[in-house]
Amino acid sequence: MFHNSSQRRYWTFNREDELEKKRYNANQKFRMKAKESGKPGLSESVFLERHEEDVLFRHYERRLLDFCNAFKPAMPKSVVGTAAMYFRRFYLNNSIMEYHPRIIMLTCAYLSCKVDEFNVSSLQFVGNLLQETPAGQERVLEQILEYELLLIQQLNFHLVVHNPYRPMEGLLIDLKVREPRVSEESADDFLTQAAMTDAGLLFSPSQIALTAILTAMTLFSSSVFSYLTECLGLREDKETLSKMYDLMRRMKTLLKKYELPKPEEVNVYKQRLERIHAELNTSSKKDPFRVNMHRTGYRALLPLRYRSLLHTQTQFTPTQA
Amino acid sequence: MDDQGCPRCKTTKYRNPSLKLMVNVCGHTLCENCVEMLFVRGSGNCVQCDTPLRKSNFRVQLFEDPTIDKEVEIRKRVLKIYNKRDFDFPSLREYNDYLEQVEDIVFNLTNNIDVENTKLRMEQYQRENRDLIQRNKAKLTREQEELEELLLQEQQGTEQRRLVALQEEQRQLQAKRKNKQALLDELEQSQLPATLLLAQHKVRAAQLETQIEQQKQVVKPTSIFSTGIQMRQTVSLQPAPRLEEALYHYKPLRVETYGPPVPDLEQLGRFGYLNHVRAAMPQDTAGGYTSALACHRAVQDAFSGLFPARG
Repeated sequence: MFHNSSQRRYWTFNREDELEKKRYNANQKFRMKAKESGKPGLSESVFLERHEEDVLFRHYERRLLDFCNAFKPAMPKSVVGTAAMYFRRFYLNNSIMEYHPRIIMLTCAYLSCKVDEFNVSSLQFVGNLLQETPAGQERVLEQILEYELLLIQQLNFHLVVHNPYRPMEGLLIDLKVREPRVSEESADDFLTQAAMTDAGLLFSPSQIALTAILTAMTLFSSSVFSYLTECLGLREDKETLSKMYDLMRRMKTLLKKYELPKPEEVNVYKQRLERIHAELNTSSKKDPFRVNMHRTGYRALLPLRYRSLLHTQTQFTPTQA
Repeated sequence: MDDQGCPRCKTTKYRNPSLKLMVNVCGHTLCENCVEMLFVRGSGNCVQCDTPLRKSNFRVQLFEDPTIDKEVEIRKRVLKIYNKRDFDFPSLREYNDYLEQVEDIVFNLTNNIDVENTKLRMEQYQRENRDLIQRNKAKLTREQEELEELLLQEQQGTEQRRLVALQEEQRQLQAKRKNKQALLDELEQSQLPATLLLAQHKVRAAQLETQIEQQKQVVKPTSIFSTGIQMRQTVSLQPAPRLEEALYHYKPLRVETYGPPVPDLEQLGRFGYLNHVRAAMPQDTAGGYTSALACHRAVQDAFSGLFPARG
């Protein structure tokens, strides 16, 4: 249940500026560390600004979603949503410049497969990287396993993600019970779009689902808004009702604001990102701030119950619900 | 090898099951044969620690660990001197301190810690409390005597009861025998037909039986319960003081879901929710699955956290 979940308590924020502030702090933190390390190649001119980071983030998020959607066997929507949410949560407190999103995005997908009981073996997983040779796939798998623990730690071990897909089903059922005239409209596009925005960090999954449905409905019927007042018992509670309208409006503007990253921008920033990471990696072996925790007993930091998750796929088959 | 053995002749219990190990005050073992051999003169030194020992102080080892034997011996000796009891002290605290002190002394002597000082302490205590020790000793012996007397009384009582029962049994046996003899005599001398005599005898035998049964049932009224409490003693029948406790009241759990109320699992069908879900396949229902479960979960998820938090 969402109402007593870690998502509600720790990963739902009130305002957009809070998110922006966290990301800014992550960016600043990286700059400080980079300066302290005293590498000649790391200077102010190389570092990515916040909005540049954002472009790259969106670019890699797209790639993550493309990878998941092309995944064979087909990945359930909730797994994709969980992966995207992990990706978003990870880069809330970490800078793209510190951990390369290329590998983090794969690790997110890999972890969400495990957590959401989508049973694929690790070799099957990297087998989906079609552009890689088998040896390259092997190398990627090694990297994934290397970063998996870091990811889990950065997620603060809050691995359960509540996606808006099931709430949408529930709302549709409820809607059909109360208003038999309503025909089912697909609101999936809205959810897919919402997954690419901060909506998941600002609103509860049921709110996203409701907005998705009502947006899809308004195209056809004007009376659906009465659903809120009549059926959900908000007629007396004007305050909550106005808040609901408000948050729906906010969500919609959030989605409208989304734009695909421009390829030329992406290319420029990517080059700089690669330079930063190349610089970090050249002498990173003794670098105090990029200690490879996975090699130094990092495993011991994990709570026991998560250790069994590592390197093994859960053996559950998805229930038919 | 945790098999016990004599440290001198290396015999073990395994090789010689009748081996008898002995311990002396120093807590080191020797087998019986070695004791006989080494202590022919009645005294000598311990093989392991060179403590001068007397043959008469050797005891059969009762515990696997000889230091326990040693401790028991020491404790006996110490308690002879430290024989105060709880009512010799004004408060429980002091009595406990005293006990603690005794334990310290026993521990020190057993483990050879600060033996000289400890012994001095004991002697000093003995000197200071000579009167009290004597008095307590006398008291203890008196109590011991009383206890023994009580035990003796009890023993006598049981013996007496046993004798009475035996006598009773014999009497009954005799009566039966007499009855039989009478029958034989009558058969021999009487003019009456045998069947009549036999019938008469049977009736008499039955009477005798019932008499015996009755006697058995008449139990002598005892005046003491088995616990030793006198019968017909007035026991105070005041009820135990009642404890006033607040009773537990069940309060239904209230969970804040931040959303509209969800219909109960049982009501979903009545409200028509189930018309809009995929019906469960027969093979699904084998494990207890129903379509209402999935529906209920979806609706719960839909309503959970739907409303923005207040304030």
